[in-house]
Amino acid sequence: MADEYETFVRDTTRVLSGRDCVLTLRDLTEGRSKYRGINVRAVVSRPPRAGEPILWIRSVVGLKDPEPCSLRIVEELPETFVGAPYSDYFTALERAQR
Amino acid sequence: MVSNDFRSFLAAIGSSGDLVTINDQVDWDQELSGIGRLSCERDGPAFIFNNVKDYAPDWRVATNPIATWRRLAVGLNLPAEIPLRDLYQTYADREGTMIPPVIVSDGPCKEVKISGDEVNLFDLPVPMVHDGDGGRYLGTWDLVVSKDANSDWVNWGMYRFMIHNERILTGYPRPTSHLGKMLLDGYVPLGKGMPIAIVIGADIPSHIAAAATFRIAGNEAELAGGLGGYPIDLVKCETSSLYVPTSAEIVIEAEIYPDRIAQEGPYGEYPGYRSGEMGNSVCARVTAITHRRDPILTLDTTGFKDSSATTTSISGAIAIKRRLEKHGVPVVDVYIPPEGGVHLAVVSVRKGGSEIAQQVVEILTARRALMSKIIIVDDDVDVFNMSAVIHAFATKCHPDRGTHIHRYEGRANALTPAYSLEERVAHSGATVAFDSTWPPEWPVETTPIRATLDSMYSPEIQKLVTERYKLLGL
Repeated sequence: MADEYETFVRDTTRVLSGRDCVLTLRDLTEGRSKYRGINVRAVVSRPPRAGEPILWIRSVVGLKDPEPCSLRIVEELPETFVGAPYSDYFTALERAQR
Repeated sequence: MVSNDFRSFLAAIGSSGDLVTINDQVDWDQELSGIGRLSCERDGPAFIFNNVKDYAPDWRVATNPIATWRRLAVGLNLPAEIPLRDLYQTYADREGTMIPPVIVSDGPCKEVKISGDEVNLFDLPVPMVHDGDGGRYLGTWDLVVSKDANSDWVNWGMYRFMIHNERILTGYPRPTSHLGKMLLDGYVPLGKGMPIAIVIGADIPSHIAAAATFRIAGNEAELAGGLGGYPIDLVKCETSSLYVPTSAEIVIEAEIYPDRIAQEGPYGEYPGYRSGEMGNSVCARVTAITHRRDPILTLDTTGFKDSSATTTSISGAIAIKRRLEKHGVPVVDVYIPPEGGVHLAVVSVRKGGSEIAQQVVEILTARRALMSKIIIVDDDVDVFNMSAVIHAFATKCHPDRGTHIHRYEGRANALTPAYSLEERVAHSGATVAFDSTWPPEWPVETTPIRATLDSMYSPEIQKLVTERYKLLGL
């Protein structure tokens, strides 16, 4: 597990609900594999909890929310989601969450 | 010297003073692309980086190969100083001459072969192009080969692709693109994966052909041959029946899933913005990577005045001119200025007026609507002279009756920053034509006369003035 991740969200409230949610994380560990993506089921906390990796939230245009979060990864998911090409990725996340 | 691969092109732009070599270590994480980005904004040189952080020196990165007209000209084996109008005309002439490719059994792009579990996309020095992008973009200045499932049609297109993990890529060839059409019509209904080959660092005409506005079922390999004046050597892929230019620096072979997706984007795109068009992409699994020894990864630091500002502009303008001619519009010239992010076209016509303006906007939005603004000028305005175009637009376009808006659904450009998020998702948009011509019904006796040397002075005075300028060295 990395110390720091970022994720891109269309609806911040879904991520900050306190319940577990499905996300794609980008691993921010320095080195050749920086920005590697993983799909997870995780619980996000704001303010960050001690001992948990930091999570930065970005909007759909890549704007970084300056307030950090933390996350607890409950489960690592397969590297792709079920969905036809060009179907909505955020809908696929919600489907995987149910 | 004729350049027929990427390395000879780099040598040519080195000779013309349009390439800077950087041997100091540069970080692939934004620093490298930031250098390329600023150069685009300043109409500066291309760069080659010989020492990329975290990667061995046998991997190099080159940025924005043809983001200026000078480098585009050199890429077509023309003098860097060629006047823009002549460059357009040469391109148009060559576009009409197809030269078929030649199939060969081996070539430089096969010098190193990696397949199966050995594939790791993070072994390539793929830059993080902008802060806040969804990931590292491998396909920025590329050429993506795909084949129609039901015919012999092979498409080359320039589409963006992002690294998700060691073997998964996501990408955004628009659903209305030729690749998108092949995928949705031929592979998805059958649940079949679609083989693709992402070609990086081929000869310049091949990339220009891939980026060109070209007809459905057209053969871009033949177009590349015509543009360069030599046949393109093609070699078969390792894991599919696709063929790629042998001179390529790197080839990524992959298969697009018919039923899987992953995060793609957002990405700072050619209109000069990151518009939030994420979540409508394709997802592919890499099956093999082949490359030259000491490979050069090419990068378009996408954004304001990137390489598409020249490639898409020139081919798009010529395609627009041909389409208007086909529909009987009295078109003289078409120009797509790089500063317009491929959203603005200037069209000059022999006879203008409302009817022509309405006809132009309807023709240019019939299938795909990439241009959102069209300025129509009389043919005494040089479309390549943006000062003259702005003057005509500002003074001759009637604020009310000179504006012709055409709205459409399902075919708008999702990358257009002016559209709301909802409009971008629904591909809903509009194009406006600004009629900056004199109404044809106005009598010549009362039509205003432009107060410029070429319009408001006698030919004798014009001649005297230009001769005086010559004597003064002005």
